[in-house]
Amino acid sequence: MRFSVKPFILSLLVLLVLFPFAYLGLLSLAGDWRFPDVWPAYIGLRNWYAVLSAETSLWQSFLLSVLISVSVATAATFSGFFISRLVYYHPKQHLLTLLSYFPYILAPVVFAACLSFFFLKLGLFGKSGGVVVAQFMVAFPYALIFFGSFWGSKTQQLEKLVATLGGNLWHTFQRVLLPMARGMLLVCFFQTFLISWFEYGLTSIIGVGKVQTLTIKVFLFIKEANFYYGALSCVLLILPPVALLYINKRYVFNKLV
Amino acid sequence: MFLEVKQIRKSFGQEQVVTDLTFSLERHKTLSILGQSGCGKTTMLKMLGGLVTPDGGDIRLDGASISHKKPEQRNIIYLYQEDLLFPHLNVFENIAFGLRLKKHPAKEVRQKVETMVESLELQGQQSKMPHQLSGGQRQRVSFGRAIINNPALLLLDEPFGSLDAGTRQRMQQLFKKIAGAFSITSLFVTHDLKEAILMGDEIAFMKSGVLKVYKSKQAFIEDPETGVQSEIGFWKDLK
Repeated sequence: MRFSVKPFILSLLVLLVLFPFAYLGLLSLAGDWRFPDVWPAYIGLRNWYAVLSAETSLWQSFLLSVLISVSVATAATFSGFFISRLVYYHPKQHLLTLLSYFPYILAPVVFAACLSFFFLKLGLFGKSGGVVVAQFMVAFPYALIFFGSFWGSKTQQLEKLVATLGGNLWHTFQRVLLPMARGMLLVCFFQTFLISWFEYGLTSIIGVGKVQTLTIKVFLFIKEANFYYGALSCVLLILPPVALLYINKRYVFNKLV
Repeated sequence: MFLEVKQIRKSFGQEQVVTDLTFSLERHKTLSILGQSGCGKTTMLKMLGGLVTPDGGDIRLDGASISHKKPEQRNIIYLYQEDLLFPHLNVFENIAFGLRLKKHPAKEVRQKVETMVESLELQGQQSKMPHQLSGGQRQRVSFGRAIINNPALLLLDEPFGSLDAGTRQRMQQLFKKIAGAFSITSLFVTHDLKEAILMGDEIAFMKSGVLKVYKSKQAFIEDPETGVQSEIGFWKDLK
């Protein structure tokens, strides 16, 4: 019988990928784990009960993060879709596309520092609405660039065909463009949700510590050297992306291929 | 005359693409237009369909000027060389598209689509998605989607250009049959000599933005500019 190393290498790779998640899960359940103990003295749901308590306000941070990320992703996806049509059909398409890369040439913290004056004047500093606006400014150009490939010559021809078949612009969007772009809209929503969900630099500056999203909380716990709550926040942090990844895999990617 | 085109012209920058285009067409007739690539055929069709704005001139359909009407108000359907089926709709819904836009009752839509499917010899294909069809079938669906709306004028821009020789021949016959059955008035643009002669009740030749309409097919054949004579000479010399 021929010996093959392929299954072992694959298993090792799977273990390497899964280990951080398993370790985070274990840490979130652990307590009183001190060097040189190889196993924690306490394993249970104590930390998880804390999620619901007012002491850590993790639950509120989780809900706030979901609310901010859903708002940013929804606004960026839909405005990105409609405005990218104007950009990619514009005679100065290349210049406008180049400009949409602007937010990415600066580090988020520097970008936020540049914007902070305007946010202060508009009364958006330290407000959830301000964080939504700030994150939108990063997610929107991404959506704009993402939908660029959709507005090719074939889409233009389809739009003209709908017009000669008697349809107006509303019909074109309602019956052709939006259904055709459904998969792309879902993927873009997923991606912009992730951009917002893991955003730290802009949120910490514009939120000035008052808007405590889950990502901000993770860093706070790590700064406090509270590994158990840090791990617990991380587990909470990866839950929505895992759920979205599953939905995308199950309902979107398979249909796109 | 049903369609009257008077001194239509169009230029892009310095380039004059269509020059003083003037012709007319009777109701229920097909005018086939022969021309090489880049001679202005597509621009001419797009101007008639309202997809490109002419620099001057007038287009009249059934006695009324349509020059300033939007494409969706003209009842003129433009068919591209590509079939351009809606990828998210099945054959039935692709054909029914225009009727659904005009909010025809569901029962009427079903009845009309089923009749059209039969005329197009597409029985049993209604629930298939566009990617499951062959090139010829896709082109037939595209025809059906246009003709079911009973357009005043159908503009066909090299509709069989991407098909193989056999499918192309079958599609030519099918189009002739359907155009007759549904009393279609159409402009059929092609760069294929044989197709131009076969498809048109009347025939025209376009070169460098100038359209010349022939009084008869014989006149078209005899004109050395159309290339028919050199084609005949080629086959004779081959003997």
